[in-house]
Amino acid sequence: MHYMKSALAIGILAFTTASLSYADAGWVGDLSPISADEWSQQTASHLLERAAFGGNQKEVMLFTKLGPNKAVKRLVRFKGVSRKDGPDFDHSGVFDAGLDPFPPSRPATTELARTSGEALGVKVKESGNRPIQPVANKFFYWLRASRLETDRVSYWWANRMLNSPRPLEEKMALFWHGHFATNEDKVRDYRKMLMQLQLFQREGLGDFRTLLLGAAQDPAMLAFLDAGINVKGAPNENFAREIMEMFTMGVGHYSETDIREAARAFTGWNFEGLDFQVSEVLHDDAEKVFLGQRGNFDGVDIIDIILEQDVTAQYIAAKLYRYFVRQDLDASLQARLGSRLKALDYNIAAYLEMLFLSRDFYAPASIGTRIKGPVELVVSTYHKAGFLEVPGVPDFNLTTEALGQRLMHPPTVAGWSQGRSWITPSLLFERGNFVLDMVFPDIAFIPPDRYPMYGSPIVTVHKRLKQGMDITNATKPPGKDNAMMAASNLLADRDEAFNTRYASYRGWQMAIERVKPIPRHTARLNLSQEVMQANLKSPQEVVSYFVERFLSVPLDPETLKMLAAFLEKEIGTNDIEGAQSYLEEPLRVLLHVILSRPEYQLG
Amino acid sequence: MTLNRRKFLSNAAIASGAALSPWRLALGDSKNSGADSDRILVVVELSGGNDGLNSIVPYADDAYYHHRPSIGIKKPDLLRLDDHFGFNPGMLGFERLWQSGDLAIVHGCGYDNPSFSHFTSMANWHTAAPNGGDEYGWMGRLADSMNPRATPNSIIGVGSTQSLAVKSQYQTPVVFDDPSRFQRDGFVQQTDILNSISIADNANATRRYLNQVASGALASSSLIRDAWEHYQTPVDYGIAPMDLPKVAACINKGLATRLYHVSFRNNAFDTHVQQPALQRRLLSYACDGIHGFVRDLERLGLSDRVAVMVYSEFGRRVPENANLGTDHGSANVMFFAGSAVNGGHYGEMPSLTDLTPGDNLKHTTDFREVYATAINGWLQQKSANQVLKASFKPLPVFG
Repeated sequence: MHYMKSALAIGILAFTTASLSYADAGWVGDLSPISADEWSQQTASHLLERAAFGGNQKEVMLFTKLGPNKAVKRLVRFKGVSRKDGPDFDHSGVFDAGLDPFPPSRPATTELARTSGEALGVKVKESGNRPIQPVANKFFYWLRASRLETDRVSYWWANRMLNSPRPLEEKMALFWHGHFATNEDKVRDYRKMLMQLQLFQREGLGDFRTLLLGAAQDPAMLAFLDAGINVKGAPNENFAREIMEMFTMGVGHYSETDIREAARAFTGWNFEGLDFQVSEVLHDDAEKVFLGQRGNFDGVDIIDIILEQDVTAQYIAAKLYRYFVRQDLDASLQARLGSRLKALDYNIAAYLEMLFLSRDFYAPASIGTRIKGPVELVVSTYHKAGFLEVPGVPDFNLTTEALGQRLMHPPTVAGWSQGRSWITPSLLFERGNFVLDMVFPDIAFIPPDRYPMYGSPIVTVHKRLKQGMDITNATKPPGKDNAMMAASNLLADRDEAFNTRYASYRGWQMAIERVKPIPRHTARLNLSQEVMQANLKSPQEVVSYFVERFLSVPLDPETLKMLAAFLEKEIGTNDIEGAQSYLEEPLRVLLHVILSRPEYQLG
Repeated sequence: MTLNRRKFLSNAAIASGAALSPWRLALGDSKNSGADSDRILVVVELSGGNDGLNSIVPYADDAYYHHRPSIGIKKPDLLRLDDHFGFNPGMLGFERLWQSGDLAIVHGCGYDNPSFSHFTSMANWHTAAPNGGDEYGWMGRLADSMNPRATPNSIIGVGSTQSLAVKSQYQTPVVFDDPSRFQRDGFVQQTDILNSISIADNANATRRYLNQVASGALASSSLIRDAWEHYQTPVDYGIAPMDLPKVAACINKGLATRLYHVSFRNNAFDTHVQQPALQRRLLSYACDGIHGFVRDLERLGLSDRVAVMVYSEFGRRVPENANLGTDHGSANVMFFAGSAVNGGHYGEMPSLTDLTPGDNLKHTTDFREVYATAINGWLQQKSANQVLKASFKPLPVFG
């Protein structure tokens, strides 16, 4: 049995290269379904790479056996898969009613306190120095607490990506998170971010209209695009513009007048707490002219008119195509994909089923030509390495941020650029460094949810205060000459009603008291056991085994030889079995080398 | 003395780059390009669309206060430039540069048929091909014109992703965020094998691209890291210096790089709501950073070699909106900063009463004139017409 497994593993490599000519170039643009006799281990592996977070050996074998229809049904329709969800998000309990509504800025908060005597549920002190200090502290408390709790939401989500029996659900949530991009830095409320994520998880494979309406009426989105202040008589265009440009049609298919008219239709849309609300008083009910149609439209009417446009179906269909299949598609394919999506009534699952069954999806030009996004890279690496939990060290959020994709923090409303923009010289190194951190965890790791990495000056503040220094002196920035001090630093201490740096320090202290820590276990790899179970005899077999398990493109013979020679030198013999007792460390060093290669970025 | 030391370092940097580089033949070419070949352009992007009208405020024009009854900055709050304009009170750093004659203000910069989309308009500014588009960025094309063959470290973009502005046909732009992390970690015995790049699969263009980036990374990383490790400054760049200290470190180290791009990132200047306090804060960060950078270069004795150019994808709507903010607009103010700059006003302030139908400023300066100023006027290249694909007259910012 063992022997067969390893022979199979090595066999795949040769097969991979050979089958490139089998699935001929004529498949590009061919949307007709692949047949059962065109199905192979390579196609199964490719499907898992794209429609899930990669496949481990067991999954690749299962999906090969299932054949195209059942394999795609299993991923897209969850046929034969558990419907059970993992544990719900475990709230730390950081929110209290006084925090809602949260003012737009620190100045707005302290100004509210100054004029009304209270803000964020905290009263201004009647007398004494820095009477507004407790309010300012609470302001920074919530900024920190919400951010840290959002990091826990991201961990919860990453674990679902890794473990869900329905990985496409999570991958689609990731797609929609980049599409309806909303950043916690502006929303400043982890509860809204979590709610939005759950919308994407629930509706991500369903009807696009339901999803779009849900996203447009979602408190995180309304907050992010300032929709709440779009009112009758003074429409704010931002929300309407982004709905058309980023979420549905793409630029160039509507006029500036259409934007203004749509903005009028969306007037009065707002949220209270975590609920969507429409204010009839603030809604402009008069006639609008939008994309050539005339009527007393409201926001839902506008969305329905947008969905009628062919260009909307094309925009969404093409974006999904680029995400799952290839970056380059011509106008005619885009038009064909758009009419397919429209004919399927914008049902995302049905559309993806068509894509994942199409010969185009399995064309050589599609296989191993896509650069994995950072979150996919990390999650699929953990999955292929057999982890059942996302490690606490390295920190998932810091790692993916360093690679260019921190969940809940997309850079702009346009989300993350895909494809080649994931790679810069520096980011290519970071990808390898991540693997090193996985196989040999950093023993100097400092948990970023306990130690203020981003605001380390407050550590100095803390130390100075404990030494008995007054607040003004304790909060001066260290090490700068006053004469050379920048204007922004001179301004920091000016207001005597409160001290911003002190508030930042107290806010952090209060936040870490309430936010539950992220568990900091490291990954437990057991590569040597795996290699022994696969009955691999020589360095060559070990190299081929890892290459086949992790890479989507074959390596050239010379590189394979070099890798085998490297492993042989590390273990001091070519007898794998004989080296069993000390094999683990050399195998990890080897895995780091293989997964650092540019080729590993392809999926 | 300083000059000699710098020249020496510069040559050393190139030599060590060459040792790692697959393109070492190309290096000879770039060194022969002449005596004025050490001028450096640093381009600073203010993303999100900075409100130029509330940056350089035409306080003497009543129309300004008419359009902006709530967010218009009152005369006493302005940092007065002259009898017509005043700086936003956050722009102390620029006021200092203005007073020392190191700041040029270019009014009314824009282009025909402006886009009001952040991404489209930013792409227009990045490619310098408004409403036509280009696969490569204007700085990338400029780098190609300055280095006809692939040359390590010809262009640097600091950021978490590569800006379209630096995207180049022949160069691999050096893009990094944290210079201290710009390295491949690994054990000593892994060094060779980690640096090996295998034969590209010709059919797979993405694979070829990855291998190309991998060689570029190899040629740049140790230089950049070393530059950062050997850089210390007493100058205060303020709270958010937009990566300018990293640029100062690279210049200080004597890198051959002559084109740098940095950004105030993540659409920060998109002030639809509650603009006054927010924009003031953002401008204080941006101006502190640029002021700090100019002073730092003076300290290093390098200020005559470096000019900074500042842009944003658009200005904002002339009338304020109902939310103490402004919506996407068109023409905007640009800046040059540095010791070599002839301080003063350039271009013509657009009228505040003769607006476009969408209540925007009519641009008076094509932004590509400002780019041409940087290319021909500052960098002393003759290639502005070729890079910008049309003829634009440079402004006399650099004499």
